[in-house]
Amino acid sequence: MRKGFKTRNEHRYVGSYRPRVDGREKASGKAEFFDDIALKIRFPGLLYAKILRSPYPHARIKHCDVRKAEKLPGVKAILTYEDPEIAALKPTNFAWTPFFSISYDRMLWPTYKDRKILSDHVCWVGDEAGVVVAAESENIADHALKLIDIEWDILPYVLDPGEALKPGAPVIHPEINPDGNKIPTSPYSESDTFINRGDAEKAWTEAEAAISVTAHYHNAEHACLGTRGCLMNWKGDELTCWTSYYQADQTRMHITQMLDLPLDKVRVINPYIGGSFGRGNMGEQGFFIFLAILAKRIGRPVLHKYTRREDFHDTRTAVSYECKMGATKNGTITACCFKSLGDSGAYVDHSMAAVDFVPKEFAEETLAHVPNLKMETVLAYTNKIPGGCMRGIGNNQVNLAFGIAIDALAQKVGMDPIELCITNFSHEWGTIPDKSLKAVLQEGAKRIGWTKRHKPCEGHFYEGTKKRGLGFSFHNSWHAAWQELPRGHIQVSIKVNPDGTVILDAPTAETGPGSNSCIVFACAEALSFLGIGPDDIQWISKTDTQRGLKDQVQTDSGISYCHAEMMPRAGAKVKEQILELAAPHLKVTPDELDIEEGRISVKGKPDKGLTVTELFWKGDLVPILVTVSETLPDEVTGTPFCATFVEVEVDTEIGEVKVLKSVVIHDPGTVMYASGAEGQQIGGQAMAIGESLTEEIIYDQATGVPLNFNWVDYKIPTMLEFPDVEPVLMEEWRGAGEYGACGIGESVTTCAPAAIANAIHNAIGVRVNEMPFKPEKILKALQNKAKDEPAAKVMADLE
Amino acid sequence: MENSTDRIRIKINGTWHDFELDRDIRPADTLAYLLKEKMGLTGLKVACDQGACGACTVIMDGEAVLSCMTLAVEADGHDIVTIEDLGENDPVVESFAEQCEPGYGTAMQCGFCTPGFVMTAKALLDENPNPTLEEVREALSGNLCRCGCYAAIAQAVLAAAKKMKAKGTKE
Repeated sequence: MRKGFKTRNEHRYVGSYRPRVDGREKASGKAEFFDDIALKIRFPGLLYAKILRSPYPHARIKHCDVRKAEKLPGVKAILTYEDPEIAALKPTNFAWTPFFSISYDRMLWPTYKDRKILSDHVCWVGDEAGVVVAAESENIADHALKLIDIEWDILPYVLDPGEALKPGAPVIHPEINPDGNKIPTSPYSESDTFINRGDAEKAWTEAEAAISVTAHYHNAEHACLGTRGCLMNWKGDELTCWTSYYQADQTRMHITQMLDLPLDKVRVINPYIGGSFGRGNMGEQGFFIFLAILAKRIGRPVLHKYTRREDFHDTRTAVSYECKMGATKNGTITACCFKSLGDSGAYVDHSMAAVDFVPKEFAEETLAHVPNLKMETVLAYTNKIPGGCMRGIGNNQVNLAFGIAIDALAQKVGMDPIELCITNFSHEWGTIPDKSLKAVLQEGAKRIGWTKRHKPCEGHFYEGTKKRGLGFSFHNSWHAAWQELPRGHIQVSIKVNPDGTVILDAPTAETGPGSNSCIVFACAEALSFLGIGPDDIQWISKTDTQRGLKDQVQTDSGISYCHAEMMPRAGAKVKEQILELAAPHLKVTPDELDIEEGRISVKGKPDKGLTVTELFWKGDLVPILVTVSETLPDEVTGTPFCATFVEVEVDTEIGEVKVLKSVVIHDPGTVMYASGAEGQQIGGQAMAIGESLTEEIIYDQATGVPLNFNWVDYKIPTMLEFPDVEPVLMEEWRGAGEYGACGIGESVTTCAPAAIANAIHNAIGVRVNEMPFKPEKILKALQNKAKDEPAAKVMADLE
Repeated sequence: MENSTDRIRIKINGTWHDFELDRDIRPADTLAYLLKEKMGLTGLKVACDQGACGACTVIMDGEAVLSCMTLAVEADGHDIVTIEDLGENDPVVESFAEQCEPGYGTAMQCGFCTPGFVMTAKALLDENPNPTLEEVREALSGNLCRCGCYAAIAQAVLAAAKKMKAKGTKE
């Protein structure tokens, strides 16, 4: 039995260890996912759409002849780039919004409209090319695609971002940059050097202790269990869209804006969704548009569901960093320089946020007290799978460079890296030492056994050839309420039935993170005067734009508290209405009444009263309905911190790295749901360790073809590779509002890669900074060390 | 097989079903396709369609099999159990649903892999009612959970073993 977390403020339900509210439904197989609904037995007449996928990394369709395919029995319609309705569509991208509903003219990256729906121009192997077929079965649709005669204009391609930036490289998106593959500077930054405080280069050169490290984070894939899909069904001029994307309102906005439809004619429904982790960025995907057109033309429901191979559709943006840090000999950091080269792949989407926006946020929330700070980036197009959001965006990448740099600088200064962090870092609104950071790091050190950490490479061997090492990294958590203000009004509704049970509508796509449970517990907490618990609350699992309330986009790790913050406000309204109803029955005014555990009574006269159910039964039996549409608290509170400590074992003979133990520490301000938060902390390591050690997209350099878009060769950790993970929750920091919580769902993956890199260095004394840390890289680094060591020893002896 | 060549019979959740080849099922249809798309047994999930993730696991003659890697015709004459047959008070289902022991998280997040894990665990516990943690890890290593609920899933399986034992003693 492990020791659980203890909250600083006792709540009845919030912060507790409890089963998930959807546990029974999911464990019994009764939870209906998109895949369970989008079936012919549920939608008679269902057709299946398949899109042509580019076999080339860069090409243009010169000519296509669909006549043979059209004649294939079972083919219902073929739509191509030459169709006038398709050709007339506005250029777009798949990243209109960061996390709230937004229209076409206010999209986040208006300068990067590099996507065209059903384009004749394809930019990576697997890219959606300009032909889509709808047929009676998936097999017929696949067969039809093979019958289409396509004359391709095969264009030169480039896979490496460094090569892509060289003069003479094939230009991928001349409509964005006619001169090359450098993606124009972020519209939110004045130049590619987006932070330039003091004189960081000079301070680094003059520093008493200075280090420079490089780090490379690769294109990891979300690999959600449920693949993406969409089913479009028109009835007259009304369109219903079922989808496994996680943003109903924004999907509706996207469809209506692209097709010039009124909002009331488009209904979007999200059933249970098999994971998201930020895949596909948000609700703006090309298939929503061509499927809506296709389904309208045919007059039957049309389904487009990705195969596993197709679901390798976007990734965590690959970024290479160079990070320089300078400090005094006492360990006061005087300079930090971050220079990154981002690989956006074939389209920008949200990749600019990974290299520009999020590092800015990191500077604000972690590096605020570094006197000289420079951050610069170049983002390039390549002919590869596009980058974008994946459990955060850019946080992991900047943390890899930062975490390794801290470790190297501490070694240079001769200081414990934990001490170095506590004495140098805090957010813009805080002071040093930061209470949250200090608590997080000290607790992590205690749990991993930091005092037993030896000097790099100086540990003894285990089982002959294996060496062990410890490492850690930390990051600011995100997001707190003030950072989620652009969401605008957060809407929830509560219906109290005459028997005292409750129907809660707090719409957000249920992708797994546990926000649904947080919301139910916060609702039970706010309505505890009714004498009810979580089991009395029916939470509506499907998000449906027709129900009226705007759903919160399941992103930014923020939903648990976004909705929970509305619950006390809704609870107060419910109370007010009940007391108003009860007052005439008890022949007093509402302010003379109180309600506790489901019983209304006159203040000071506990005998004079009635239960809520009795009250309802005396009246018209109409439920109490309360809707709240309000904004989050706007007080700027900074953010707390999180860290990951790991112990690894490196087999110096075969180069294999194993994570033996991982301690994941978060200070979310208020723990909304302990079992859920610990589930995130533990679960995040399956992704972070996979990305660090085994997962990698491999391209055939000679053809640009990705070789492992499947789960046999793209290696996701199983239970056997999964280490002992100790989740640690603490409540040191506090934000604004009823709960003052900060998200953790994305940051659970952020610190592990750097922690593992540092632990490898601690074990074997060499740095392997290029992810994934595969055996061949470990062995090569060890060989280089062996080569260098005799020479270094001779040099040292000479000195 | 005693059946004629163009008919197959499969026992599904206790009831024999007859299928006519080419009319009801095609030779290339997988068992997953038959169960899910044709019969509406949607508890099983098809996530990789290549035998890599275990989400489509059903029990055939007492053994966990990947229904995406089994042809429907291969099930001719066999006994198939899907998660629909287990019910909400099945000890394995209950243990997965209830897991919230401090330090391990919950046994599912998105829940897409859960029916596959439940069925694999069910087959394991039917054969080995007292597995060690190592045996659980080994038995479930063919199932992927991208949300990473492995620690809690292992706890749930151990808890299910205890529940089954308690139930057995009562009976």
